[in-house]
Amino acid sequence: MAKFVRVIDTQRCFGCRSCVAACAVENHFTPDSPWNTMVEYEAGTYPNVARNFVTMNCMHCEHPSCKAACDAIGVHAISKNEFGVVLIDYDKCIGCQYCSTTCPYGVPQYNAEIKQLYPGQEKTPYEAIPAAERSPLHRKKAKTVEKCTFCWHKLEKAVVAGKMDQIGKVPEYTPTCDLVCPVQARIFGDIDDPTSPVSAYIAKKHATQLKKEFGTQPQVYYVLNGGDY
Amino acid sequence: MKITRRTFIQGMGAVAGASSLPFSLPTIAQAADRAENAAKMAAANPRTTVKSTCVHCVNFCGIEAQMEGGVIRAIYPDKARAAYYNWGICPKGASGVFNTYNPYRVKKPLKRTNPNKGMHEDPKWVEISWEEAFQTITDRLNKIKADNPSKLVWHHGHGKYTIGDQFPKAFAAAFGTPNLVHRTTTCEAARHVADENTWGGHGILPDLEYTQLYLSFGSNPFEGEQWSRWLDHAIIEGKERGMKMIVIEPRFSHAAAKADEWIPIRPGKDAVFILALCKQLIDNKTIDSEFLTTYTNAPQLVGDDGRLLKVDGKPQVWDEASKSAKAYDDPSAKAALTGSFDVAGKTYRTAFQVFYDSLKDITPEYAEEVSGVPAARTRSLAKEIADAAKIGSTMVLDGHPIRYRPVASYTFRGLSAKEFGVQNNRASLILNMLIGSPDAVGGLLLEHAMGHPEYLEPSKCEYPPKRADLAKSVYYPHATHECCQQVQYTVNDPKAYGLPYQPEMQIFFATNRPFSTSDAIKQQDGMKKTFNVVIDIVNTETCQFADIVLPDLTYLESWHFSPTRSTPGTKHTAIRQALTNVYNIPYDAMTILWELAKRLGIRDAYVDNLNKQWGLKETTFQKGRDYTSKEMVEVIWKDKTKKPFEYALEHAFVGKMVSVHDRYLHSVEAACKGPGKPRIKLYADHLVDTYANVEKTVKANNITNINLDQFKVAYSPIPIKEHAFPTPHREAKDYPLYLITHKRMYRNQAGNTAQNPILNALGNDTAENFIAVNAETAKGLGIRDGDTVVVESRVGKAKGRAKLTQGIRPDTIAVSYHHGHWSLGFPDYAKKGTWINQVLELHPDRIAGMNSFNDTKVKLYKA
Repeated sequence: MAKFVRVIDTQRCFGCRSCVAACAVENHFTPDSPWNTMVEYEAGTYPNVARNFVTMNCMHCEHPSCKAACDAIGVHAISKNEFGVVLIDYDKCIGCQYCSTTCPYGVPQYNAEIKQLYPGQEKTPYEAIPAAERSPLHRKKAKTVEKCTFCWHKLEKAVVAGKMDQIGKVPEYTPTCDLVCPVQARIFGDIDDPTSPVSAYIAKKHATQLKKEFGTQPQVYYVLNGGDY
Repeated sequence: MKITRRTFIQGMGAVAGASSLPFSLPTIAQAADRAENAAKMAAANPRTTVKSTCVHCVNFCGIEAQMEGGVIRAIYPDKARAAYYNWGICPKGASGVFNTYNPYRVKKPLKRTNPNKGMHEDPKWVEISWEEAFQTITDRLNKIKADNPSKLVWHHGHGKYTIGDQFPKAFAAAFGTPNLVHRTTTCEAARHVADENTWGGHGILPDLEYTQLYLSFGSNPFEGEQWSRWLDHAIIEGKERGMKMIVIEPRFSHAAAKADEWIPIRPGKDAVFILALCKQLIDNKTIDSEFLTTYTNAPQLVGDDGRLLKVDGKPQVWDEASKSAKAYDDPSAKAALTGSFDVAGKTYRTAFQVFYDSLKDITPEYAEEVSGVPAARTRSLAKEIADAAKIGSTMVLDGHPIRYRPVASYTFRGLSAKEFGVQNNRASLILNMLIGSPDAVGGLLLEHAMGHPEYLEPSKCEYPPKRADLAKSVYYPHATHECCQQVQYTVNDPKAYGLPYQPEMQIFFATNRPFSTSDAIKQQDGMKKTFNVVIDIVNTETCQFADIVLPDLTYLESWHFSPTRSTPGTKHTAIRQALTNVYNIPYDAMTILWELAKRLGIRDAYVDNLNKQWGLKETTFQKGRDYTSKEMVEVIWKDKTKKPFEYALEHAFVGKMVSVHDRYLHSVEAACKGPGKPRIKLYADHLVDTYANVEKTVKANNITNINLDQFKVAYSPIPIKEHAFPTPHREAKDYPLYLITHKRMYRNQAGNTAQNPILNALGNDTAENFIAVNAETAKGLGIRDGDTVVVESRVGKAKGRAKLTQGIRPDTIAVSYHHGHWSLGFPDYAKKGTWINQVLELHPDRIAGMNSFNDTKVKLYKA
């Protein structure tokens, strides 16, 4: 069994937000609905100051509360596939935002309106890519919720090509946010493989998860830069 | 391949082992269906990749563009480049798609119809044909060439990096104008000039793979650019290995956030703090005397007039054995490092003694009073530096025993963007010399020491100046880098500077001077006096003063033999290749220059100069034919790499590792040691002679706009405490707060990233900037977080939103560049924030001509 996890090392992260930008570009970003965000916070009093840089996409929880809420009201727009990836079906989503409310991490983003990147101007060739030529995960729909997909549109190709062992290793089969980091602060891979880089990293750098008390068991691990988030 | 359950399970075999079925059959069926859809989509819109080089900034990161059906879908880092330079890319690079896909770009040549130029004046552009644009420009250039070609001033900034300054330099030479002006004096020119006047070359890098203690004076690779995609990775790796990083700067930058310690120094006072550290190291007897006597001019004898004692042109040292003066490179001399000696009835001190004597009052307590760094910390840091430096030790690498001094003091603009930028940088270089870190393992690597010994000669202080930027004239005697902010002052009033002609035309290529300089509004008067052409991708503030604007292609649409950044252990050569041409623009800057050269009838001269500028030997540009941009790049690639162009198209770069010899032994070790070789100038004696030339020239020509007292202070052969007191600190008495400026990661400098919708949406804090003020200070001023406030200096005011923070000195505020655009050619969303440049006082460094950015004093109050 393969279970995909990500490790974000906030000791290494220096807050460039390249992963935020890369996710937006990879995933047909629509304004006001980012799939990856940076939380920066300052602690201490001058001159004893600290600053932490923490990015958050979706945690792809083992027990996703978003899916539980969506199932409970009979909509079933949220699925968790056999690799642990939690996905929203925009065609089924009714935009009630119960998932947004119940997610401990504030992940699902409600898209009231699909805005253009340059309002009032002609669409860029990027935005003009027709829906039929996009992954279903990039066919954004107004009044639905969207969120990080672990770049499933890329991982899926690895599955099809029989190259699952290359997930997290080659750019084609790695979530784009994990590719661009200038200081290798992000790793993606299979935690079910005890020899994988993610498995080794989690152990070596004492990675933990955020907001464990909610019990959703996130599949995104963090190396914390002192203190707690 | 048709996806069936069987083929799907076969594909899964690599993960789980074909014999054990990990999934239930319904799950497999779902997965197989999805996979089939995915396969269909992949076939319909296959993704292809093209390697190239990013040119948002001056890192020149290797990138891999992701294309789908001719559309640039995303930009990834080129993983193959990681071994030679960048492991990742920054957010600008990642969103570079929208640097190209930008409907606000200039798409056609524009001509102004409103004759009045001003920062708020609508130029009333009309689109014109390329033919009309070229004709108009060429007519004017022909007249100027016939009259006095110097009347053309060519400016570039980022343009140097999009096509190479070899092209404009060749054009300027063929045209006959000396006025080619790059932007280095708005960047870090003072650091280069400090290097040049110390060790006859420029370019420094900390040897971070081995450094144990890294002192960063306001260098910020986590928010700024230079070498940052190597520095960031190397610093983080170093930290994990146990390297300690101390960041010394007034603001708690991202660099300070990743450091082991932040020393919040008062702005502009670094020289005093560094000199205090130097005094501690000397008093504690923890200096590398052997390095100083072997490689530097520290033991050379200095007279009361500040000049070196020379016999037959050779500086002298005091030989302790024979108790007499000998030539500095006499192998029999055991040179005294300290002391005062009598030679032929005159008293001489060693340069080191002169330096040490000057430090008499620069105690840790004095440094605390001036710089705010606690005296105890100065004392303890000096001990830490000494412990970490391992003076006297060597490390054997590849069989070579090399000096091992794993401490480096490094800066970029932190010590440089100041009125005393050169002297502040020299203080840091001297600190490095005291512990013997130049070209040591883990120390500070100097690029090609003594490659230009002429830099260590006094300046002729040219007057009258030949160049509109006054570089190397009496005004900026050692300005080896063009003084970009000076040009408009000279254009506005040439007589004031003795320039014997009135410039008539200025071409601005990918640069935004009226936005990016200090006291920037004063750039405008000169620009109103000339016929201006702008070549750029967006309609910038410079365009507000342009007569004609020519569109350029972006870095994803054009060809270039790219500059690259080397690291201590690697070098590489790269190209940039065109992926698209969104708005069907028929020319780029390279072909614009080519076309102008042709129409002016100087194409052959241009070709000769191109071959010279590029240093082409075997494959050269040929006369009598034209070249496309791609063909031009092919010529240079072939000559430089001897590899087929197909290799460049496939890989975009070729890299190599630097040998241990080249890394540590080719520079200081080869050029600054032994008989006949010059020595690194701890004591820059030639500056004394330059000052004498300045004085002579000023008096002989009755120059009234040079303050000799200020020049004398600036031209001290060693850094002194006066270099911590720039003009605003001395004069702006009613302005209580220090103002510093800084970069941000989400924009690049002054031009073409402000419109990028992705960069503006990386958080609710990236579309605009803020005025960072210490929370306690703000409270005292009745300012709350988010209040609109006014920053006022002696030269200007600006409004902005206050952001309260603990991460800045209580006596300092910080505002970034990049924001507060005012060009009428920018959409409103790209003009948010504060334009701080109008508030910054301008007092150029008198040695380098460096634009000062961080010396201003201001008032802050609620709007």
